Formats: sequence, structure tokens, C-alpha cells
Amino acid sequence: MPSSPATPTQIQQQMQALRAAYAEKIGERVLQIEQSWDRLVKDDWNLETLRTLHRMVHSLAGSGATFGFTYLGTIARTLEILLTSILETGNPPIALQRIQVHALLASLRQSIHEPEQNLPELTAFIPSQSPLPNRGDSHLIYLVDDDPELAEDLALQIGYFGYDVVRYHNSTDLKEAVLQQLPAAILTDITFSEGDSAGIEMISALRKQLGSNMPPVVFMSLREDLTARLEAARAGGKAYFTKPVSVPSLVDKLDELTRAHPQEAYRVLIVDDESHLAVYYSLILQRTGMVTQVVTDPFDLIPVMSEFNPDLILMDVYMPHCSGLELGTVIRQQPAYVGIPIVFLSTETDLNKQLDAMNLGGGDEFLTKPIQPDHLIMAVYSRAQRARTLRSLMATDSLTGLLNHTTTKEQLVQETLRAERSQSSLAFAMLDLDHFKSVNDTYGHATGDRVIKSLSRLLQQRLRRTDTIGRYGGEEFAVILPDTDGATACKIMNDIRQRFAQIRQQSEDEEFSATFSCGIAVYPTFSDVGSLKTAADKALYRAKHQGRNRVVLAEK
Amino acid sequence: MTASLERILLVEDDPDIQAVARLALEAVGGFTVGICSSGKEALEQAVGFAPDLILLDVMMPVMDGPTTLKALRELSPLRDTPVIFMTAKVQTHEVESYKQLGAVDVISKPFDPMNLSSTIHTIWATYHA
Repeated sequence: MPSSPATPTQIQQQMQALRAAYAEKIGERVLQIEQSWDRLVKDDWNLETLRTLHRMVHSLAGSGATFGFTYLGTIARTLEILLTSILETGNPPIALQRIQVHALLASLRQSIHEPEQNLPELTAFIPSQSPLPNRGDSHLIYLVDDDPELAEDLALQIGYFGYDVVRYHNSTDLKEAVLQQLPAAILTDITFSEGDSAGIEMISALRKQLGSNMPPVVFMSLREDLTARLEAARAGGKAYFTKPVSVPSLVDKLDELTRAHPQEAYRVLIVDDESHLAVYYSLILQRTGMVTQVVTDPFDLIPVMSEFNPDLILMDVYMPHCSGLELGTVIRQQPAYVGIPIVFLSTETDLNKQLDAMNLGGGDEFLTKPIQPDHLIMAVYSRAQRARTLRSLMATDSLTGLLNHTTTKEQLVQETLRAERSQSSLAFAMLDLDHFKSVNDTYGHATGDRVIKSLSRLLQQRLRRTDTIGRYGGEEFAVILPDTDGATACKIMNDIRQRFAQIRQQSEDEEFSATFSCGIAVYPTFSDVGSLKTAADKALYRAKHQGRNRVVLAEK
Repeated sequence: MTASLERILLVEDDPDIQAVARLALEAVGGFTVGICSSGKEALEQAVGFAPDLILLDVMMPVMDGPTTLKALRELSPLRDTPVIFMTAKVQTHEVESYKQLGAVDVISKPFDPMNLSSTIHTIWATYHA
């Protein structure tokens, strides 16, 4: 008759007792392993002693993690693998193998005093998150100016770019509002009836109350004197605009201050035929907020890569069937993965051999096993970060920050495939600024660039995070709207078109307005990338010929 | 062939693994557990214990797991008792080779004590499906 199951508390207590008993014996076990190795090296080499050593290490490898000594178990496992290869040759170990065993034994000795629960706080290596993570989703702007007409006009213009502007008549009202709900930014004049620097004084007082929660502040003023600027800077102002305010410049600054790109977790693909080690690395990286995927069969690598889309590959060098170096070469042969960082892991401690490995296998870094958790985290984090930044720069247009032509096309392929898999729809829109050549000719290329930037900014403000925006050519833009039907896409793009037409573009001499025409094609009405683009292009052409400043939906 | 899983025999030479496995199977899983420290002991005690399932460590001195399994199959009452190997290194092709030796499945070491019983139940259910 089976005994009645114990309560969770009893199980926990018994488990802790077992762990304590195990911990007490670790030192002795490691000492026996060391002594066994010493006998092998100093006395005549014999297989019986080696087998005994191997069995002791095997036992440690098989039990360490069960009792919470994950790191110790991993080192023992690595050592076991090495001893297995020595056993299989039947010969005394070569000098390199002796060095490796010696290094692993030193790590084993060291790991006795580092049970899992006492590992250093790993998150200390990752920059802290923004103190106000919700700020990035807010487009709320508080505006206070003693000139009601100016304030109203400014609110309207900024509103076209997706900001929700709330106006206040005086600094007292503003202060009350801020204490109730934090805006994304504060726009305030300096001079009020209360005094020439009343606006600055109000902001200083507010900052004392709110501390680090203080929203960014942008000052506006007729005053151009240095005193005013100094006082504004001392009050913590992020920007200072003299009136009349340039709306494009102001919106640029607001975008900069309110933009929060919630950092998407770095994605690390771990390739190691030893699933224990792979899981170990996976756990370490996950604890720092990374997303990991483990591949233990090298032949699964390519399909997993295209599905998982990693920022970095962490790869063992020595694997049966094919080595990490060979895999690295295969990865580098594919254009899509030329730039992805590959970090090799191996017990190899010879620097020349490490350099050879990086050269042959296209690796970017070489980490010697067993690796300390913090070393692994730092190596992976810095390379993943740099890789993502580089990928972003290569994928975007320098003037607007939007995706460039190539990346937009790639994204359209991806999204079309996804729509196909999930049986959903997708809208593809092409936009072209109207009479753009005459804008450049009349107002100059600098103004033309600002018009382009204003449209890209508006698109970014008004479209969803899941949408893709690309600059397709000089004054041509492309937008991919996943999970969107034709009617909805038309509504969205028409709204943007109307808002864009309301923006007062500014040149040195005068203000003017600009418009764009738009053609939209929808999947699955057009069932492949080529026909989608052709249809959208034709729809755009029809929009131009029907008088411009309109949105046309392509029909089959 | 009994369809219920109550009695499990563990053949394992490491005393620490024996202790934690007993806790995992008895306290967590509610099984009746017998433990042998070697293949030789298993041959002497297994018939008397009459296990529903045998957990067999692969790497043991003198008689390793596969050798012990072969010998156990020579004992009539245990000819059809399902055996699960426990070993530190488990790859897909190795699982297949262990199954060809007659094991129904492989559990890798180190194992999570809190999940060992449910893993065994899963293997048992699959075996009887």
C-alpha cells in the first residue's frame, strides 16, 4: 500500500534536508575527484583509476542540479564529457587535455561555495527600465500661454501630429492638472501677468514636488535674453523656443521627449547538443529578461532560425555530426544572416585555437567553458544590443527614420506570408506627395525635406505599432497594415490625408500646405506580393489622375 | 500485466540520488519504492519486490544498466515489467538506442524531484496506450 502523500510543507522540508546533506558532502566528493586526478597524472597512468574518476564526476554531474547546485553540476558535466573522450582514446591525455581538466577542477572547487540560491544578482548587469514606462504610450500635452489665440492655434497644429493638447489659462490651473495626471510633456510660456519669469518659477516649484516624476518641459517665449534661457535651463527645461514657434521643430522636440521605444527583449538562440548545458544557459539569460530558444539537434537550426529570428546565436563548438564551426560557416553563407553575432562556447583555452575558431566559423566571440553567469550575460547582452542597433540603422532611411525601400519590401513579404498562414487580410498603401517637385523648386530642398519629415512623423503618430511604414523613394511612402480590410485601410489613410493637408508647412518666406495621394491594395484580393504592389501602384496612379489629394482602393 | 502503477523499483548506486528519488516517488508521488544499489542486488531482490516499473541507472560499476536489464529479462516474473533508463546524457538517437535495448523510455539526469512522478506517469500512460 503506498504511503499517503506528504503535505507540500513536509516535502519542502525533506527536500531542504536532503539538499543540506548533499551540500555537506560536496567538498569531500570534489576532494576525492582532485586526488584521483593527481594520482593519474603523477603516478603511472591506468584505466581503472580513470574509470573511477569518470564515475565520480558522472555522479556529480547527474545529481548537482537536482539538489540546486546547477553551476557545479554543469562544470562536472563538462568535465565528464572531457574524461569520456580521454577514456575512448585509451591513451594518456595530451597536454591540452590536462590543462583543460586542471581548469575545470579549479572551477569545480570554486563552485562548491556558490550554490544556486547565492548566485549574484544577475539583473544588475542590465540597464534599468524607464521609471515611467507608461509615458511612451501617452500623447498628452499640457499647454499654458497667456496669449489665448496663439495657444489655440498651437494646440490645433500640434494636434495634427497626434498629440492630445489640453490648454490652461494660467500656471495655477496647470499645476493642479499636473498633480492629478502626468502629461507626456508640458509646454509653457515664461511671462505671465504674475511676472516676467512666472512660468519658470512655476516649473521649479512643480519640480520640487514631483522630483523624478516631473514630465519634460518645453519653454516658449518672446524673450531671447540669456538670463531667461539660463533660468529656463536651471528649472530643468528640455528645450527653449522663441516666438513665433516653428511647429515642425517643436513637434520634433516633442517626439524626441515623449518617444519611448519599449525595449523588445533580446532573442538568443542557443545551439548545444548537451541539453543540460543549453537549458542552463537558457535559464541564466532568461533571468535577465532575454527570450531564448534551445536547439540540441544542429539539423533543426535553419528552420528554427527563420521562425525565431534571433538577435544572437550562442553555439557550442564541439558537437557530434557537425561542429559549431561548420554550422557557423553555413549560417554566414546565407545573406539574411551575414550580420548576426555568433558567440562560440568551448572548453578550448588556447588563444590561437580560439582565434582560428572565430575565423573559420565566422564567430564574433569565443567564450571558454565553464563560463561564469555574469560573463555570459555581459557578452551576450552587449553583442545583441549592438547587433540590433546596427540592423535598425541598416534598415532605416536616414532622413525620416522609417524603413528603407529594401526593408519595406522584405517586411511586405513577411506580412503577406503571415496573413496567408493566419487566414487574415492585409492592406498595402502607397503614398506620393503631390506636386513635390514644385515644392522643392519654389521653397528649396531643405523645406522639401521638412515636408517629407512631417508626413513621416504624422504616419508614425497615427498608425499602429503593428503597422509598417517605409520610405519607398524620394517623396514616396509605403504602409503595410496587417489584419486590415480595404474599407478600414481607406478610412485610416483618409484621416491621415486630411490631417496632413491641415498642417501649415513653413518655408523661410511663407507658409503653405502640402497633400499626398494614396493607392491601396488588399490581400487576399491580390494574393501575392507582386500583384499587391502593382495594384497599389495603379490605384495611386488613378488617385493622381482623379485630381490628387485622395485615397483610391484598388479593385480586381 | 498490471495496469496500475504502485510499486517502483529503483536501481541506482548513488546514495544521494537514492535519497532524493525516494522522496520524489514516495512523498510526492505516493508510490511504494524499493531501492537497490547495484545490478547484483536488483537480481537478488527484484522478484521478491514485484515492481510494476523499474527505474534503472545506466552507468553503474560492475554491472551497468543495459547488462542488468538483460539479466532481469531472464527472470520469468520480470520478463514484461517496463523499464525506464536513467542517464545523464540523452540525445534523440540515444533514446532510440536505449529503447532498442528494451527500455520503454529514458529519464535524463539531473532530474527535477518535483516532476519525476508526473514524468513517470506520462511514460506509463504512453506505454499502456
